[in-house]
Amino acid sequence: MAEPRSPVSATVPQTPMGLAPPEGAVVEMDPVEYTLRKRLPRKLPKRRNDVYVNMKTDFKAQLARCQKLLDGTAGHREICIHGLGLAINRAINIALQLQAASQGALQLAANTSTVELVDDLEPEDPDEAGEPLTRTRNNSAIHIKVFYPNPQ
Amino acid sequence: MAEINAVVNHSNASANGPRKVSSIEESSPFPVPGQGPGVLEMRVKEGSKIRNLLGFAMSRIQGEGGQSVVSQVLFTGSGRAITKTITCAEIMKRKVLGLHQVSKIQYRTVREVWESQEGCRTQTTINRTVPSISILLSKNPLDPQEPGYQPPDDLFSQTKEKDEDNTPLDLGKRHWSCYSPVVLSTSKRACLEEDKHTAP
Repeated sequence: MAEPRSPVSATVPQTPMGLAPPEGAVVEMDPVEYTLRKRLPRKLPKRRNDVYVNMKTDFKAQLARCQKLLDGTAGHREICIHGLGLAINRAINIALQLQAASQGALQLAANTSTVELVDDLEPEDPDEAGEPLTRTRNNSAIHIKVFYPNPQ
Repeated sequence: MAEINAVVNHSNASANGPRKVSSIEESSPFPVPGQGPGVLEMRVKEGSKIRNLLGFAMSRIQGEGGQSVVSQVLFTGSGRAITKTITCAEIMKRKVLGLHQVSKIQYRTVREVWESQEGCRTQTTINRTVPSISILLSKNPLDPQEPGYQPPDDLFSQTKEKDEDNTPLDLGKRHWSCYSPVVLSTSKRACLEEDKHTAP
Protein backbone atom coordinates (compact mmCIF):
# COMPACT_ATOMS: atom_id res chain seq x y z
CA MET A 1 0.00 0.00 0.00
CA ALA A 2 1.21 3.53 -0.68
CA GLU A 3 2.86 5.11 2.28
CA PRO A 4 1.61 8.52 3.34
CA ARG A 5 3.28 11.45 1.75
CA SER A 6 6.45 12.19 3.69
CA PRO A 7 6.81 15.87 4.45
CA VAL A 8 9.82 17.34 2.74
CA SER A 9 12.14 19.05 5.17
CA ALA A 10 12.56 22.74 4.43
CA THR A 11 15.77 23.12 6.47
CA VAL A 12 18.01 22.04 3.62
CA PRO A 13 20.63 24.77 3.13
CA GLN A 14 19.90 26.76 0.03
CA THR A 15 22.11 28.87 -2.13
CA PRO A 16 20.55 32.31 -2.25
CA MET A 17 19.27 32.96 -5.70
CA GLY A 18 21.02 36.35 -5.89
CA LEU A 19 24.46 34.84 -5.35
CA ALA A 20 24.08 32.03 -7.80
CA PRO A 21 26.83 31.99 -10.42
CA PRO A 22 25.80 32.53 -14.03
CA GLU A 23 26.24 28.82 -14.66
CA GLY A 24 23.55 28.27 -12.09
CA ALA A 25 21.03 29.46 -14.59
CA VAL A 26 22.20 26.80 -16.98
CA VAL A 27 21.94 24.16 -14.28
CA GLU A 28 18.45 25.31 -13.53
CA MET A 29 17.49 24.66 -17.13
CA ASP A 30 18.05 20.97 -16.54
CA PRO A 31 14.88 19.03 -16.14
CA VAL A 32 14.10 18.55 -12.48
CA GLU A 33 13.92 14.96 -11.43
CA TYR A 34 10.62 13.78 -10.14
CA THR A 35 9.51 10.79 -8.20
CA LEU A 36 6.29 9.37 -9.47
CA ARG A 37 3.94 8.30 -6.78
CA LYS A 38 0.75 6.54 -7.71
CA ARG A 39 -2.16 7.28 -5.46
CA LEU A 40 -4.44 4.46 -4.58
CA PRO A 41 -7.55 4.15 -6.69
CA ARG A 42 -10.61 5.84 -5.32
CA LYS A 43 -12.02 3.63 -2.61
CA LEU A 44 -15.21 1.99 -3.64
CA PRO A 45 -18.07 0.92 -1.43
CA LYS A 46 -17.67 -2.65 -0.33
CA ARG A 47 -20.47 -5.03 0.48
CA ARG A 48 -19.92 -8.40 2.05
CA ASN A 49 -20.21 -10.08 -1.33
CA ASP A 50 -17.81 -7.75 -3.14
CA VAL A 51 -14.37 -9.05 -4.03
CA TYR A 52 -11.65 -6.72 -5.29
CA VAL A 53 -9.07 -8.78 -7.14
CA ASN A 54 -5.45 -7.68 -7.05
CA MET A 55 -2.15 -8.97 -8.38
CA LYS A 56 -0.41 -9.22 -5.02
CA THR A 57 -2.47 -11.93 -3.41
CA ASP A 58 -2.06 -15.51 -4.51
CA PHE A 59 -4.49 -16.48 -7.28
CA LYS A 60 -5.63 -19.65 -5.53
CA ALA A 61 -6.35 -17.79 -2.31
CA GLN A 62 -8.55 -15.32 -4.12
CA LEU A 63 -10.35 -18.08 -5.99
CA ALA A 64 -10.92 -19.95 -2.73
CA ARG A 65 -12.25 -16.81 -1.09
CA CYS A 66 -14.84 -16.36 -3.83
CA GLN A 67 -15.80 -20.03 -3.68
CA LYS A 68 -16.24 -19.77 0.09
CA LEU A 69 -18.49 -16.74 -0.27
CA LEU A 70 -20.71 -18.67 -2.66
CA ASP A 71 -21.08 -21.95 -0.83
CA GLY A 72 -19.86 -21.52 2.74
CA THR A 73 -22.05 -20.66 5.66
CA ALA A 74 -22.34 -17.21 4.14
CA GLY A 75 -24.00 -18.77 1.10
CA HIS A 76 -24.41 -15.67 -1.03
CA ARG A 77 -26.64 -16.07 -4.07
CA GLU A 78 -24.44 -13.65 -5.96
CA ILE A 79 -21.03 -12.11 -5.59
CA CYS A 80 -19.39 -9.27 -7.46
CA ILE A 81 -15.78 -9.57 -8.62
CA HIS A 82 -13.97 -6.35 -9.49
CA GLY A 83 -10.69 -6.06 -11.35
CA LEU A 84 -8.72 -2.99 -12.40
CA GLY A 85 -6.08 -2.83 -15.12
CA LEU A 86 -3.79 -5.84 -15.04
CA ALA A 87 -6.08 -7.56 -12.55
CA ILE A 88 -8.87 -7.69 -15.17
CA ASN A 89 -7.47 -10.94 -16.55
CA ARG A 90 -7.32 -12.45 -13.12
CA ALA A 91 -10.86 -11.37 -12.30
CA ILE A 92 -12.13 -12.99 -15.50
CA ASN A 93 -10.13 -16.13 -14.78
CA ILE A 94 -11.61 -16.41 -11.30
CA ALA A 95 -15.14 -15.89 -12.59
CA LEU A 96 -14.73 -18.48 -15.36
CA GLN A 97 -13.19 -21.02 -12.99
CA LEU A 98 -16.04 -20.54 -10.52
CA GLN A 99 -18.49 -21.12 -13.32
CA ALA A 100 -16.65 -24.22 -14.54
CA ALA A 101 -16.51 -25.66 -11.02
CA SER A 102 -20.26 -25.19 -10.58
CA GLN A 103 -21.07 -27.37 -13.61
CA GLY A 104 -22.96 -24.59 -15.26
CA ALA A 105 -25.07 -23.61 -12.26
CA LEU A 106 -23.50 -20.18 -12.04
CA GLN A 107 -24.05 -17.38 -14.52
CA LEU A 108 -21.82 -14.44 -15.27
CA ALA A 109 -22.71 -10.87 -16.12
CA ALA A 110 -19.75 -8.63 -16.92
CA ASN A 111 -19.74 -4.86 -16.95
CA THR A 112 -16.85 -2.60 -17.90
CA SER A 113 -16.00 0.87 -16.73
CA THR A 114 -13.26 3.47 -16.69
CA VAL A 115 -11.56 4.49 -13.47
CA GLU A 116 -9.71 7.78 -13.18
CA LEU A 117 -6.38 7.45 -11.41
CA VAL A 118 -4.15 10.21 -10.09
CA ASP A 119 -0.36 10.17 -10.11
CA ASP A 120 1.71 12.62 -8.08
CA LEU A 121 5.00 13.88 -9.38
CA GLU A 122 7.22 15.19 -6.62
CA PRO A 123 10.49 16.99 -7.33
CA GLU A 124 13.45 14.93 -6.12
CA ASP A 125 15.18 18.04 -4.87
CA PRO A 126 12.88 20.39 -2.96
CA ASP A 127 15.23 23.33 -3.62
CA GLU A 128 14.74 23.16 -7.34
CA ALA A 129 12.06 25.31 -8.80
CA GLY A 130 10.23 22.29 -10.10
CA GLU A 131 6.60 22.38 -9.19
CA PRO A 132 4.82 19.35 -7.84
CA LEU A 133 2.52 18.06 -10.53
CA THR A 134 -0.37 15.70 -10.68
CA ARG A 135 -1.36 13.68 -13.66
CA THR A 136 -4.67 12.01 -14.21
CA ARG A 137 -4.98 8.97 -16.37
CA ASN A 138 -7.66 6.47 -17.08
CA ASN A 139 -7.59 2.76 -16.62
CA SER A 140 -10.12 0.12 -17.57
CA ALA A 141 -11.96 -1.96 -15.02
CA ILE A 142 -14.31 -4.92 -15.03
CA HIS A 143 -17.11 -5.85 -12.67
CA ILE A 144 -18.37 -9.41 -12.94
CA LYS A 145 -21.53 -10.49 -11.22
CA VAL A 146 -21.36 -14.22 -10.48
CA PHE A 147 -24.80 -15.49 -9.54
CA TYR A 148 -27.18 -18.42 -9.36
CA PRO A 149 -30.08 -17.67 -11.68
CA ASN A 150 -33.45 -17.64 -9.96
CA PRO A 151 -35.11 -21.07 -10.09
CA GLN A 152 -38.50 -19.75 -11.15
CA MET B 1 -0.86 -21.81 -16.40
CA ALA B 2 1.42 -24.84 -16.60
CA GLU B 3 0.64 -25.25 -20.25
CA ILE B 4 1.57 -21.68 -21.02
CA ASN B 5 4.88 -22.06 -19.22
CA ALA B 6 5.66 -25.20 -21.17
CA VAL B 7 5.02 -23.40 -24.42
CA VAL B 8 7.27 -20.52 -23.46
CA ASN B 9 10.07 -22.92 -22.60
CA HIS B 10 9.77 -24.53 -25.97
CA SER B 11 10.13 -21.31 -27.85
CA ASN B 12 13.17 -20.42 -25.79
CA ALA B 13 14.82 -23.74 -26.54
CA SER B 14 17.43 -24.27 -29.20
CA ALA B 15 16.72 -23.61 -32.85
CA ASN B 16 16.19 -27.34 -33.34
CA GLY B 17 13.35 -27.43 -30.84
CA PRO B 18 9.73 -27.58 -31.76
CA ARG B 19 8.44 -24.64 -33.72
CA LYS B 20 4.98 -23.20 -33.63
CA VAL B 21 3.51 -23.52 -37.09
CA SER B 22 0.14 -21.97 -36.55
CA SER B 23 -2.39 -21.14 -33.91
CA ILE B 24 -6.03 -21.05 -34.84
CA GLU B 25 -8.65 -19.59 -32.60
CA GLU B 26 -11.67 -21.79 -32.81
CA SER B 27 -14.48 -19.76 -34.27
CA SER B 28 -16.97 -19.60 -31.46
CA PRO B 29 -20.64 -19.11 -32.12
CA PHE B 30 -21.71 -15.52 -32.02
CA PRO B 31 -21.49 -14.77 -28.32
CA VAL B 32 -24.32 -12.28 -28.03
CA PRO B 33 -27.68 -13.80 -28.92
CA GLY B 34 -30.12 -11.93 -31.06
CA GLN B 35 -27.40 -10.34 -33.13
CA GLY B 36 -26.40 -11.53 -36.53
CA PRO B 37 -24.33 -10.43 -39.47
CA GLY B 38 -23.84 -6.78 -40.33
CA VAL B 39 -21.74 -6.22 -37.24
CA LEU B 40 -18.25 -4.83 -37.55
CA GLU B 41 -16.01 -7.29 -35.75
CA MET B 42 -12.77 -5.95 -34.37
CA ARG B 43 -10.37 -8.67 -33.30
CA VAL B 44 -8.00 -7.17 -30.78
CA LYS B 45 -4.61 -8.82 -30.53
CA GLU B 46 -1.83 -8.31 -28.04
CA GLY B 47 0.18 -6.14 -30.42
CA SER B 48 -2.70 -4.20 -31.94
CA LYS B 49 -2.44 -0.45 -31.70
CA ILE B 50 -5.43 1.19 -30.11
CA ARG B 51 -5.24 4.14 -32.50
CA ASN B 52 -5.37 1.83 -35.51
CA LEU B 53 -8.30 -0.15 -34.12
CA LEU B 54 -10.25 2.90 -33.09
CA GLY B 55 -9.39 4.90 -36.16
CA PHE B 56 -10.97 2.23 -38.31
CA ALA B 57 -13.90 1.48 -36.03
CA MET B 58 -14.75 5.16 -35.55
CA SER B 59 -14.72 5.84 -39.29
CA ARG B 60 -17.10 2.93 -39.83
CA ILE B 61 -19.54 3.78 -37.06
CA GLN B 62 -19.61 7.46 -37.96
CA GLY B 63 -19.62 6.86 -41.69
CA GLU B 64 -16.70 9.11 -42.51
CA GLY B 65 -15.21 9.22 -45.97
CA GLY B 66 -18.29 7.87 -47.74
CA GLN B 67 -17.98 4.47 -46.08
CA SER B 68 -21.01 2.47 -45.19
CA VAL B 69 -22.23 3.13 -41.68
CA VAL B 70 -22.40 0.24 -39.25
CA SER B 71 -24.62 0.44 -36.22
CA GLN B 72 -22.89 -2.21 -34.15
CA VAL B 73 -19.26 -2.92 -33.33
CA LEU B 74 -18.03 -6.08 -31.64
CA PHE B 75 -14.65 -6.00 -29.92
CA THR B 76 -13.19 -9.41 -29.17
CA GLY B 77 -9.90 -10.28 -27.55
CA SER B 78 -8.41 -13.10 -25.58
CA GLY B 79 -5.60 -13.66 -23.14
CA ARG B 80 -3.36 -10.68 -22.72
CA ALA B 81 -5.40 -8.64 -25.21
CA ILE B 82 -8.41 -8.52 -22.88
CA THR B 83 -7.39 -5.28 -21.19
CA LYS B 84 -6.84 -3.62 -24.55
CA THR B 85 -10.22 -4.83 -25.76
CA ILE B 86 -11.98 -3.24 -22.80
CA THR B 87 -10.01 -0.02 -23.22
CA CYS B 88 -11.07 0.18 -26.88
CA ALA B 89 -14.72 -0.25 -25.95
CA GLU B 90 -14.46 2.29 -23.15
CA ILE B 91 -12.86 4.92 -25.38
CA MET B 92 -15.44 4.35 -28.09
CA LYS B 93 -18.28 4.72 -25.59
CA ARG B 94 -16.81 8.05 -24.52
CA LYS B 95 -16.48 9.31 -28.08
CA VAL B 96 -19.79 8.06 -29.42
CA LEU B 97 -22.52 8.85 -26.94
CA GLY B 98 -25.59 6.71 -26.47
CA LEU B 99 -24.10 3.31 -27.17
CA HIS B 100 -25.70 0.24 -25.62
CA GLN B 101 -23.30 -2.45 -24.47
CA VAL B 102 -23.34 -6.17 -23.82
CA SER B 103 -20.16 -7.83 -22.52
CA LYS B 104 -19.56 -11.57 -22.48
CA ILE B 105 -16.67 -13.53 -21.05
CA GLN B 106 -15.97 -17.12 -21.97
CA TYR B 107 -13.19 -19.63 -22.45
CA ARG B 108 -11.97 -19.95 -25.96
CA THR B 109 -10.09 -22.88 -27.45
CA VAL B 110 -6.95 -22.13 -29.38
CA ARG B 111 -5.49 -24.93 -31.45
CA GLU B 112 -1.76 -24.66 -31.84
CA VAL B 113 0.19 -26.77 -34.27
CA TRP B 114 3.80 -27.41 -33.32
CA GLU B 115 6.41 -28.97 -35.54
CA SER B 116 9.55 -30.64 -34.26
CA GLN B 117 12.50 -30.14 -36.56
CA GLU B 118 14.65 -33.03 -35.50
CA GLY B 119 14.94 -35.57 -38.30
CA CYS B 120 11.47 -36.54 -39.33
CA ARG B 121 9.01 -33.71 -39.17
CA THR B 122 6.25 -34.55 -36.79
CA GLN B 123 3.39 -32.28 -36.01
CA THR B 124 1.72 -32.10 -32.67
CA THR B 125 -1.46 -30.25 -31.96
CA ILE B 126 -2.14 -28.65 -28.62
CA ASN B 127 -5.53 -27.38 -27.59
CA ARG B 128 -5.37 -24.57 -25.08
CA THR B 129 -8.20 -22.73 -23.46
CA VAL B 130 -7.75 -19.04 -22.94
CA PRO B 131 -10.17 -16.60 -21.35
CA SER B 132 -11.64 -14.12 -23.81
CA ILE B 133 -14.03 -11.21 -23.84
CA SER B 134 -16.53 -9.97 -26.42
CA ILE B 135 -18.00 -6.51 -26.12
CA LEU B 136 -20.85 -5.50 -28.39
CA LEU B 137 -21.50 -1.78 -28.75
CA SER B 138 -24.72 -0.85 -30.49
CA LYS B 139 -26.47 2.32 -31.54
CA ASN B 140 -29.75 0.42 -31.41
CA PRO B 141 -31.23 -0.57 -28.06
CA LEU B 142 -30.33 -4.05 -26.84
CA ASP B 143 -32.17 -6.40 -24.53
CA PRO B 144 -31.75 -5.04 -20.98
CA GLN B 145 -32.45 -8.52 -19.55
CA GLU B 146 -29.38 -9.94 -21.24
CA PRO B 147 -26.64 -10.70 -18.68
CA GLY B 148 -23.82 -8.23 -19.09
CA TYR B 149 -26.01 -5.44 -20.49
CA GLN B 150 -25.04 -1.84 -19.78
CA PRO B 151 -27.24 1.09 -20.78
CA PRO B 152 -25.59 4.13 -22.36
CA ASP B 153 -24.17 6.69 -19.95
CA ASP B 154 -26.74 9.40 -19.61
CA LEU B 155 -25.77 12.82 -20.85
CA PHE B 156 -26.25 14.42 -17.46
CA SER B 157 -23.47 12.55 -15.71
CA GLN B 158 -21.18 13.08 -18.68
CA THR B 159 -21.55 16.85 -18.70
CA LYS B 160 -21.33 17.02 -14.93
CA GLU B 161 -18.06 15.16 -15.02
CA LYS B 162 -16.78 17.52 -17.66
CA ASP B 163 -17.67 20.60 -15.64
CA GLU B 164 -15.99 19.29 -12.55
CA ASP B 165 -12.48 18.89 -13.75
CA ASN B 166 -12.39 20.70 -17.10
CA THR B 167 -10.85 17.67 -18.70
CA PRO B 168 -10.79 17.95 -22.44
CA LEU B 169 -12.79 15.15 -24.01
CA ASP B 170 -9.78 14.09 -26.03
CA LEU B 171 -8.58 11.00 -24.23
CA GLY B 172 -5.37 10.66 -26.13
CA LYS B 173 -3.67 13.55 -24.38
CA ARG B 174 -2.39 13.37 -20.87
CA HIS B 175 -3.02 16.52 -19.01
CA TRP B 176 -0.96 18.05 -16.30
CA SER B 177 -2.12 20.28 -13.58
CA CYS B 178 -0.68 21.92 -10.53
CA TYR B 179 -1.44 20.79 -7.04
CA SER B 180 -4.46 22.12 -5.31
CA PRO B 181 -3.56 24.76 -2.68
CA VAL B 182 -3.89 22.30 0.17
CA VAL B 183 -1.21 20.02 -1.14
CA LEU B 184 1.05 22.93 -2.09
CA SER B 185 2.21 23.43 1.50
CA THR B 186 5.70 22.01 1.09
CA SER B 187 6.63 24.05 -1.92
CA LYS B 188 5.04 27.11 -0.37
CA ARG B 189 7.32 26.68 2.60
CA ALA B 190 10.26 26.46 0.27
CA CYS B 191 9.20 29.71 -1.36
CA LEU B 192 9.03 31.43 2.03
CA GLU B 193 12.54 30.28 2.78
CA GLU B 194 13.69 31.73 -0.46
CA ASP B 195 12.07 35.05 0.37
CA LYS B 196 13.89 35.14 3.68
CA HIS B 197 17.17 34.72 1.92
CA THR B 198 16.63 37.30 -0.75
CA ALA B 199 14.87 39.93 1.37
CA PRO B 200 17.84 41.36 3.32
